[in-house]
Amino acid sequence: MKNEGSKIVKWLLIGISLLFAFLFLLLPLFTVISEALRNGWAAYKEAVTDEYTISAIWLTVEATVIAVLINTIFGLFAAWSVTKFYFRGKKLMTTMIDIPVTVSPIIAGLIFLLTFGRQSPIYPYLQAANIQIVFAVPGIVLATVFVTFPFISRELIPVLESQGTDEEEAAALMGASGLTIFRRVTFPHIKWAFLYGIVLCAARAMGEFGAVSVLSGHLRGKTNTLPLHVEILFNEFRYVPAFAVSSILVMMAVVILIIRSVVEYRGKGAE
Amino acid sequence: MYVELKNINKSFGDFKASDNISFGIEKGKLIGLLGPSGSGKTTILRMIAGLETPDSGEIIIDGKVINNIPASKREIGFVFQNYALFRYMTVYENIAFGLRVRKNDKKSIDKRVKELINLVGLEGMEKRYPSQLSGGQKQRVAFARALAPNPQLLLLDEPFAAIDAKVRQELRSWLKEMILKLGVTSIFVTHDQDEAIEVADELIITNNGKIEQTGTPLEIYQNPETAFTASFFGQTSIIGDYTRFKTFSKVENASSAIVRPEFIKITKKGEVQKFRSSAVSGIVERTLFRGSNIELTVRVGDVLLTARRALDEPIISVGETVDVFIYRLFVTVGNKARIIENESLRENSIVI
Repeated sequence: MKNEGSKIVKWLLIGISLLFAFLFLLLPLFTVISEALRNGWAAYKEAVTDEYTISAIWLTVEATVIAVLINTIFGLFAAWSVTKFYFRGKKLMTTMIDIPVTVSPIIAGLIFLLTFGRQSPIYPYLQAANIQIVFAVPGIVLATVFVTFPFISRELIPVLESQGTDEEEAAALMGASGLTIFRRVTFPHIKWAFLYGIVLCAARAMGEFGAVSVLSGHLRGKTNTLPLHVEILFNEFRYVPAFAVSSILVMMAVVILIIRSVVEYRGKGAE
Repeated sequence: MYVELKNINKSFGDFKASDNISFGIEKGKLIGLLGPSGSGKTTILRMIAGLETPDSGEIIIDGKVINNIPASKREIGFVFQNYALFRYMTVYENIAFGLRVRKNDKKSIDKRVKELINLVGLEGMEKRYPSQLSGGQKQRVAFARALAPNPQLLLLDEPFAAIDAKVRQELRSWLKEMILKLGVTSIFVTHDQDEAIEVADELIITNNGKIEQTGTPLEIYQNPETAFTASFFGQTSIIGDYTRFKTFSKVENASSAIVRPEFIKITKKGEVQKFRSSAVSGIVERTLFRGSNIELTVRVGDVLLTARRALDEPIISVGETVDVFIYRLFVTVGNKARIIENESLRENSIVI
């Protein structure tokens, strides 16, 4: 009797989860692809190979790569210092790392707009140095870095914490240099969490819309990333190209998902 | 003195981990740093290794002040409490690590690692990872790894804490034998009195960041100098007013007395007891079978005493009134402890 009951609960839960996944994940995905291909392969190809689309792809890739690079370095340093040392303001720092995920991206964009825009006291100096941040590529990169700020360090901190410092101390006592200790002792341990953090960071960077939208100025071919490009096309009622460009993002996301699963699987295997 | 600490102080915030610590260790000795948790023994070990820096004082090894020499240059072997084996390296790589860092040539590394694997009896396990080893095996790897670069000083932090009781016993004798064979000066930290007494040539007793007493285990056990050392070994009972027990001479300014179980003789009312006239009555509150003996908790007035009885003696049950005779006790005056014997023992020897 009891067994029957738990069986019903089991299938009910699985059914609801599957239904949700279908309604909210698979159906939209399917819609994107079918809408993109509604006018045939030629129209799709035209939309995807459009000059502005290509430049949007490159800008998205550029912003993503730079954000991942910067956050990899920052994430490693931050996670390392938080877990291996004791210092004043450590709690404050761990809290601050989380700001980008708690603040709305639009507000993040506005903050940068006010910090580097015309109203800012440092604007004249930027102008004099011929540096343009707002409504230019540096602004987009900056916004992307900001919103993906915590992803890598957040993945690393728990792993480093659980490891403690004993192994590093043991290696140091045997005369190993800091670099050797990192390479031989610490890195093998954090490798999978680290890769996972990079994957998450990249996924988030590619899809970033809010903060980038505020800082970009929507200059087609110049400061348009893929998500912004989709929005512009959509607002111009050009649905097929909008969905076609979206499908590129979807494919990038699927690739990232596959990488993520592989990383996760191999990481588990290594445990 | 091979290793010497002079007036070492170390605080962590408000917590004073080392309070003016000074001691010396001779070359080739196996020293036990014994104290309750939080007494500062691990801090002393970590300062000698260079993992902590003393706030003041000098650490001298082989005649050189080493305070400013970084841990990596001190040539000290260290065995961590949880071994801290490199979990992504095999047994072989773990042991070879310290030698590879030194950039020794491959052949000599291989020779040394094989030598150590033989020494600790782990032949055939070279390719295993730490997660595939038992506690005792990990301990052996940690030991071999610390010894690989031929350190002049070996430090061990609670080396047996993470091993189950049966294997621990075995490893103790093994470790003592190893260290004796190699002749490397060693200091190990422990909170376990039995372990310290069994393994160490000499003990350093720490409490509250201070050193209470140093000496051989036998000396310290038989002649504790301070109240803390007197009460630290065995299941001691504290007696406020010891004069309630018969035939002890009075000590001026005595604050209390400490009794070990082996100082107490419990007899049934009808049993033969040579010192019956010097015994007092007590009531048994608890009996506990301890395997090799029976532990009794006996109340005499407001004092609870822990004593033992052999298994072949007549059984005593809870609630029974018994005779309690105390052979000797440690009387504490301030922080000092001194031993006093029951006077009836002396009278007896005169009669005979």
